[in-house]
Amino acid sequence: MDLVHLQGILDNVSFAVLFVTMLMYWVGVAFPNLPFLAVGGTTGMAIANLCMAALLGARWLEAGYFPLSNLYESLFFLAWGVTAIHLLAENMSKSRLVGAVTAPVAMGITAFAALSLPDDMQQSAPLVPALKSNWLMMHVSVMMLSYATLMVGSVLAIAFLFVTRGQAIELRGSSVGTGAYRDKTYKLRRAGEAAAEPIYPDGGTATAVMQTTAVAQTLSPQRLTLADTLDNISYRIIGLGFPLLTIGIIAGAVWANEAWGSYWSWDPKETWALITWLVFAAYLHARITKGWQGRRPAILAALGFVVVWVCYLGVNLLGKGLHSYGWFL
Amino acid sequence: MVKNPVLQTLARWWAIPRNYFKRELIPVLADLRLAIALLLAIALFSIAGTVIEQGQALPFYQANYPESPALFGFLTWKVILTLGLDHVYRTWWFLALLILFGSSLTACTFQRQIPALRWFSRTWNFYTQPRQFQKFALSAEFQNASVEQVLPLLQQRRYKIFQQGDSVYAHKGLIGRIGPIVVHVGMLVILAGAVIGSMTGFIGQEIVPSGNTFQIQNITEAGRWAGPQVPKDWSVKVNRFWIDYTPEGAIDQFYSDLSVLDKTGAEVKRETIHVNQPLRYKGVTLYQADWGIAAAQVKVNNSPIFQLGMAPLDTGGKGRLWGTWVPTKPDLSDGVSLVAKDLQGMVLLYDMTGKLVGTVRNGMSTEVNGIRLSLVDLIGSTGLQIKADPGIPVVYAGFALLMVGVVMSYVSHSQVWALQHDGKLYIGGRTNRAQVTFEREVLSMLEQLDESARLPHPEMVPG
Repeated sequence: MDLVHLQGILDNVSFAVLFVTMLMYWVGVAFPNLPFLAVGGTTGMAIANLCMAALLGARWLEAGYFPLSNLYESLFFLAWGVTAIHLLAENMSKSRLVGAVTAPVAMGITAFAALSLPDDMQQSAPLVPALKSNWLMMHVSVMMLSYATLMVGSVLAIAFLFVTRGQAIELRGSSVGTGAYRDKTYKLRRAGEAAAEPIYPDGGTATAVMQTTAVAQTLSPQRLTLADTLDNISYRIIGLGFPLLTIGIIAGAVWANEAWGSYWSWDPKETWALITWLVFAAYLHARITKGWQGRRPAILAALGFVVVWVCYLGVNLLGKGLHSYGWFL
Repeated sequence: MVKNPVLQTLARWWAIPRNYFKRELIPVLADLRLAIALLLAIALFSIAGTVIEQGQALPFYQANYPESPALFGFLTWKVILTLGLDHVYRTWWFLALLILFGSSLTACTFQRQIPALRWFSRTWNFYTQPRQFQKFALSAEFQNASVEQVLPLLQQRRYKIFQQGDSVYAHKGLIGRIGPIVVHVGMLVILAGAVIGSMTGFIGQEIVPSGNTFQIQNITEAGRWAGPQVPKDWSVKVNRFWIDYTPEGAIDQFYSDLSVLDKTGAEVKRETIHVNQPLRYKGVTLYQADWGIAAAQVKVNNSPIFQLGMAPLDTGGKGRLWGTWVPTKPDLSDGVSLVAKDLQGMVLLYDMTGKLVGTVRNGMSTEVNGIRLSLVDLIGSTGLQIKADPGIPVVYAGFALLMVGVVMSYVSHSQVWALQHDGKLYIGGRTNRAQVTFEREVLSMLEQLDESARLPHPEMVPG
């Protein structure tokens, strides 16, 4: 079996697996008591991840360079990144809700790449002179990874907005029982007892504070709620994507300076990368701003999801600037 | 301190703007909401620059943004030109926004970040009262445990531990507190480097036929103090320019073999450059940016070799063509046009009526209008982008700080306190970023403490 044939199978398999995985996650949210669905979802994501890694590996073998030369390859690299970051986020949060929002994103990307891109755009293409550089590996792959990471972080923020729709205040101070700690040494505190949540000037999600009515009562830890968890995992994943974006932009700037003598030329693509950077920088600062601890940062992060997509695809639809080669045209 | 009454008066006068600066301006600049507003404003105006075409000529805007019907009801070419939306990134208001952003960054760094760091770097952060633990979400008390049992648990998790009697303070990831400061400093350094570059750097362009020598003269942009950067005592010779083509005929790479010559014309440096591989000499960098066809060398019958200049033809943006004209009659009443599209050696011949009459390849000849026309060679010209930017080392230093800073900023600073008081053990902690991971870590510690608390412990006095 030749590599081209293998690729044709792998891209459709990735799509099919992700589609089934998405359904499993969705049914799992509706019926949380079916344990095999949770295992199935994670397994599906892992299989899709490996399929796409194999697809990109086959491309690499075939073409002899890192497979990011056209839209098809970059979409699969993006989808691979989304599944990889999903596995990380799921492992961090231990919540199945993560898959319910990340699986559709990964599925949509693979569907677009495998089904709606014409065949001639799926072929691997030779690199144009400007891309024959080691900085290509560094710049483009780090940028793509950062897009994938920021997308996962942003959809988690959207999930947070969905979970807390219209009831942000009630959810804030409540806590969920620990389950694992039923020992008598420290008792679990119920939701209603936590009264106020101060905002720490040092950032992060505010640590909920317990105001005990009676000091004599035994002190026990207050657990994070589902909304808290989603919010924090979204923050951590964006916190991971932000350095990647920064490093990717800087790698591009250094490459541009070495290749054609200007580290910044306000080309539409690099301007949109800067816009993405600014929006997520605003998000990170909104989280440490007094009185902005609720849904507002999450709205900024959700906006970031759109901005990342404009940066990744929208600019190329304009078809101008330094980054227009080898994509749509 | 100041005895002189004049100086005292001066000092009083000076105190007014200084106090205004300290009490009014700095707090406003250091306000996070201003920082967020600035970030989003820069983003928004940058979007304008990617949507509206930049740097076009007046007729372009007149054609695309007519007065009626105005786009969105207001966006006419007059509005665009008045606001400078045809060159957003060089307008005074965009630069003012960047300067404000830089001021806000500076104010934030000194007003908020560094004072906060002072607090977190102290190590005498011990708790002595059980009520101090009540404020943490993640805190617990144990009847049968001692502070000594906490220490190995914290060590396992790589905390830095400080102990004072029955009180323990432990933390890890302080680097995560320093990270944002490094990020801000890095950004300020980049901005400073950009300012230095725009003041002292220059950009030039030269189109040089293969074989010619040139001095850098065609300077397109230069800073106020760029004069000393422009080289006057050395020149560059283009020994050869050529293009490598792929078997399919697409451009693989273009190359210029360049020599740097000193005042006497002696070669001091020689390098072959291509895209991604520039030549650097005395702070000036020459980049391979463009190419063209400079001339065609032809022979008519047995004539000596004529070198005819080739001029670019207007194709209306559909590819690039160069052409020249060769007379075929002594009175110049008839001739053929030579048209070439690249340096692969094929030239098309057109007669006076515009009809294709033949083709000729490098080193070959063909019969046209009763004469034998030989094409000896096509001479390429290299398009060089020439640049000097003394701000680059500063910008790169800023890049390095920024990259290190953002990575450092991912680390979460976790702090744990423990206190043994009246036979009870209190433990609590908090972290600034990774709430979920920290919760898991603390709960696992509490679970371990819980297990060991139930085991009989030799050192422990039963409570």
